[in-house]
Parts: sequence; C-alpha cells; structure tokens
Amino acid sequence: MTGSRIAAIIGKDLREFSRNRFFVFITLLVLVAYVAVFWFLPDSVDETVRIGVSNSVLSTDVGGVTESGTAGFALEIYASEEELQTAVEEGRDGIVAGIAFPPDFFESAAAGETPTVRLLIPAGLPPEIQLLLEGAVSEIAFGVAGVAPPVDPITEAVVLGTDRAGNQISLREQMLPMILIMVLMVETFALSSLIAVEVQQRTVVAILATPVRIVDFLAAKGIFGVGLALSEVVLLGLLIGAFAVNAPAVFVILLLGAVLVTGFGMIAGSYGRDFMGTLLVSMLFMIPLMIPAFGALFPGSSPTWVKVLPTYGLVEALIDVTADGESWSQIAPSLLLLAAWGLAAFAAGAFILKRRVATL
Amino acid sequence: MNVHRAWDVCARELKLSPRSPLVFFAIAMPLLITFLVSSVFGSLFDVSPELAIVDLGDSVVTAAAVELEGIETTVITDASTLRQRVEEHDFDAGIVLPAGFDADVAAGGHPDLEFYVSGESLASTRIILAVTTLELVRGVEGSDPSVTVIVTPVGDQDFVPISDRFLPLMVIYAVMVAAMFLPAASLVDERENRTLDAVLVTPTRMSEVLVGKGAYAVALAVILGIVTLALNGALAGQPLTMTLILFVGSVMLMLMGLALGLWARDITTMYTAIKAGGIIIFLPVIFTLFPGLPQWIPKLVPTYYFLQPIYDVAIHGHTFMDVVPELLVAVAICAALVPLVAWVARRSEHQLAMTV
Repeated sequence: MTGSRIAAIIGKDLREFSRNRFFVFITLLVLVAYVAVFWFLPDSVDETVRIGVSNSVLSTDVGGVTESGTAGFALEIYASEEELQTAVEEGRDGIVAGIAFPPDFFESAAAGETPTVRLLIPAGLPPEIQLLLEGAVSEIAFGVAGVAPPVDPITEAVVLGTDRAGNQISLREQMLPMILIMVLMVETFALSSLIAVEVQQRTVVAILATPVRIVDFLAAKGIFGVGLALSEVVLLGLLIGAFAVNAPAVFVILLLGAVLVTGFGMIAGSYGRDFMGTLLVSMLFMIPLMIPAFGALFPGSSPTWVKVLPTYGLVEALIDVTADGESWSQIAPSLLLLAAWGLAAFAAGAFILKRRVATL
Repeated sequence: MNVHRAWDVCARELKLSPRSPLVFFAIAMPLLITFLVSSVFGSLFDVSPELAIVDLGDSVVTAAAVELEGIETTVITDASTLRQRVEEHDFDAGIVLPAGFDADVAAGGHPDLEFYVSGESLASTRIILAVTTLELVRGVEGSDPSVTVIVTPVGDQDFVPISDRFLPLMVIYAVMVAAMFLPAASLVDERENRTLDAVLVTPTRMSEVLVGKGAYAVALAVILGIVTLALNGALAGQPLTMTLILFVGSVMLMLMGLALGLWARDITTMYTAIKAGGIIIFLPVIFTLFPGLPQWIPKLVPTYYFLQPIYDVAIHGHTFMDVVPELLVAVAICAALVPLVAWVARRSEHQLAMTV
C-alpha cells in the first residue's frame, strides 16, 4: 500500500464529485437548509400550564393554589367571566382554559352552601389538563372548608435523577444529534453511489490494471468516504453549535460515525446494480440506522432491540456530550460500542467490496 | 398522437415494474409512512403523562387510576423497579401504595405515600400527576368538595388532533414517489441507457412515450393514494371524490416529474433536484401540522391545491362542491404545466437527435 497511489485515487474521486457543480451546490444548499431548520426550532421548553381565572378570589393561599400559581401551573386573573371566556377563545396570554369562580365564591363556600364553578374548556384540551382544573377547584373548595389533604404529593415528591425542572432539554437540543446523523446517513448514499458507478462502469478494473493494488483502492475509498462524511458533518456541527461543549469528544464521535457510515456505504455500493438499486439498498441501511436518533426524541430508555442497532452508541454519545455535558469517562461505554460497530462495519464493507471487485 | 402506441409504452412500463426497485419503493413507502406516523410520530406529539403504581394492598386508587382518561397508568410489582424506571424517565411519576393504605385514609389517617417524580418530567406534568393523585386519594377518603363544577366548551370546536394532521404527509409521500419520482427516474434511465433513442427511431413519438409513462405513473399514484387513505380510515365515505382529487394531484406531480426527467442530464442531478425541491412540494404538509403558522404561505405552492381538498374532505367532512374552487386551481396548474413539459420534451428530443 503506497500513499501516492491512494492519494491519486482520492484525487480522482474528489474531481468526479466536484465536477457536478449542481450536486455540490445542492449539497451546500441542503446544509444551509438544515442549519436554518435547526435555528428555527424552539430553544426552550414551556413547562407551565397557564389557566385563566375570573374574579380574583385567590388573594389568599387556598389549598396550595395562590394567585401566583405554583411550579408548572400559572394563573392569569381576569376581571369578569366574559373577559375570561374571550381570552380562552382567543388563547390570549397563553392560557389553555379558564376557571370562572362566582363573585361570592368564598362567602357561599364558607356559609356551607355549594357554589357553582364553570370550567371553560376549548376544543382539543388534553384530558389531563381538565383533570388538573377539576382537581384544583376541588382543592380550593376543600381549603375553604378547612379539610386538610390526607397526603401531600405536591410538596413531598421525591425527585429521581437530575432535576431538569426549569432547565429542560429543548427541541433544538434534542434535534441536534438527529440532524448530524441525518447528514451522515445521506453521505452513506453519496459514497455508495460513487462506488456503484465505479463497479458498474468497471473503471475499477482499469484502475487495478495499473500498479494500484486492491488494498490501495479500498484504502482510498475508505479515506474518501470518511473524509466526505466527516467534512460535511463537522461543517454542519460548527454551524449549529455542536462543538460548544467538549469539542474534542464531539469530533471523535463524529469521526467514528463517519467510519461507521462509510462501511455501510461500501456495502450498499457493492450491491447496487444501478442508481435506483443503490438508492434502495442505501435506504435499507438508512432506515434502521436512523431509529436510535428518532428514539432519542421520546422520553424514557430505549428498548433492547434499539440498543443493538449500530448507531445507538453514536446517538447516546452525542446526546450525553451535547445535552448533558458528560465527560470522556462517562461516554466511554457508548464510544467503545460505536468504535466496535464502526470497525465491524468498515471491515465488512471493505471485505464485501473486495469480493465484488474480484468478480469483475 | 397514436393512442395505441401510448398504450404500448404504458404496458411496457407495467411489464417492467416488478423488476424496478423504485416501484417496490413506491409501494412500500405509503405502508411504512402509515406505520411510522400511527405508531411513532402520533405519540411523539400527543404525549400523555405516565404514572406507575406499586400497590402493596389492593387499593381502589390503582383501579381508579387505570380508568383515568389522559393519564397512562402502569401497575408495577416492586418499588425498586418503579424507582429505577422513573429515574430513567420511562414514567413521569410513580407512587407506592403501602398495605392498608385505603383503610388508613378512610379512618382519617395520614399514611405515608411514596411519590416519586422523574427529574426529566416537565413541571406541568408533575403538578398534573400530583393533583390527580391527591384527588384519587380524596376519593378513598370519601369526602366530597362542596362545589359544583360545570364544564363549558368554548371557542371553535373544530379541533383536529395531531394524528389527523399527518394525513397530508402520508398522501404526498404515496402520490409523489409514484407520480413524480417514477416517470422522472424512468425517463432519465432510458436516456442514460439510450433505450429512449431506440424507441424514438420507431414510429413512436416523444409525446406518446410521455403519455404512456405518465398514464402508468398516475394510475399507480391514484391506487396508492386510495390505499393510503383507506389504511388511515380517511376515505370519509366519498371514494369517488377522493379518487378525482387524487387524480388531479397525481397528474400535477406526474407533469412535474416528466419535466424533471426530461431536463435532468443524469440520475444524480434528478435525485439532487428532488432533494432540494422536496421542501417546496412538502410545504403545505408543514403548515397543516402547525396550524398556528400563517396559512397564506402554503397557498403559494401548487401541491396545496390538491392536498387541502383531501384534508378538507377527510377531516372536515367537506363535499365535492365545497372543494371545487381549490380543485379548479389545481386543474389550471396542470394546464399550465403541459406547455412546459412540451417545451422541455422538444428540447430533449433535439438534444437526442444531436447525439444520435
């Protein structure tokens, strides 16, 4: 294996890739689109339910609910029921529903009467919010009657894990690994197309008729694939701020991710008979490889079958560093898993491509 | 134009389709998207608070919690598993009901209630689950608040759940791959392999090739569109209206596909153009998903004029007459695309003649 031969093949691939100016232009355009979409996403999480209340009956702490509300629950006071209804209908001040207390609510309740409270519910209100409203009204009534709650889950709750109240991971932060992985996946297809063309047009046979050996060819394809995927994903990462925390760790994760997708690109390129065939084989790889990234958007731990997918370590390591700011030692298990999958995919890709070339 | 020759081209497309990965792709995609949307993305946006309960004493709280609408309740056998899964945010909160809990509450006692919340759960979710838990325990206590609660629906009741708002996305995928991608890829492929040159040296004319390929693509797209709507229970009892709208939409995308296939010099260029232009075709889908966005923007995009009628018929129960205005615009767009396709076809024919 000689560096000059490998460099010559890489140079040829690079010229071939950049010759199609339209392709290069659109690749850059898609990068810009990804960046625009990323910065368009909300960077904070609103974890407060805002409720409108008519007639300011809540001037004192009643049943744990006050005018200022409580964590996760805010109140907007309106002078009249009509004003409240209009606000609910228009979604004014961010309120999702309203509670219309009668003006004599306290007097009636204190006198042992049963006052009537109206809940103003817009269409599509999640049922759990209605449960919250009914519970809040009930607790206010209990508070007026002086009936203490038998248990107090509001103030005596035990928080397990890192308490993210007020500091939730935003949709933008959640999407960061997914956007990076999507770009890596797309590069799987770009590399597989280049290899497929080489195989279909049998230019590889011409190349191997020169002093270039198969190992030079495989090394060149591997380096070009990793370089292509890595340069694009690093550029995107810089533009969306992926390197803000522990940049060396993010770079290593993306490098291993590029090795992983290059392996799959070589496999897809070896099997694709034409453009559409290559696209289909690439899609067969891309869809399962995207699942861990989609899974990261959902709360909770991933199912076991997701954990065995090759990109699981990539997604975990990226999230742990970019969202949770974890250190090298903390991400080591995910990194090792990713490295193992990357090497396995790359070795499999090189082996399959070598066999494919041997059949030409 | 000779209809028989156009039919021959169409029949050839049909005959070759089992060998085409793209046809497989076109058929599999609507099924895959339907599965993903119904099982994955629907639940991504409609997330209900999740509560786990360990019940050590057969409490009525557990039975009442399971019946609650809007809260996903799961019964777990041991407290350590509950704590672990709450910490991993598999659940937003978890409660451990000790043995004799109900009897203690009913006797006016204040028993210990272990109430755990996940650090990753939203503050709003925590308060919802805490208040709901308190109300469930109040139910065991047997005391009623001295207040009458009346629920009054207000505002526009025409609310569309998020899962229904995904319908245009599924339809556009089904129709676009078959109506646009298929004829475009077929034309580029034939030009690259020079089989189009071979066909054109016979009496078959370019217009007949385009009509044959277009007819096949439209037929497949309409069938896939109908299947997608049926799979999602969105035919709304108006299959004929839906078929007509899908037909107009498929013709529109087919014409775009033909123009693209004739213009693109190779398959990579075509694929890249679709990759870039896809955002415009998909724009109405984004605005349906997020109705708070300004709704005049998608009206600038041609696909709006068949996606919106499908959405209105399927979701809002509109009739054919209600959607005629949008559909007429769609037909006008189709009519405007015909000269464009004809011009690109003439240009392409000229280029082919020069290279033969």
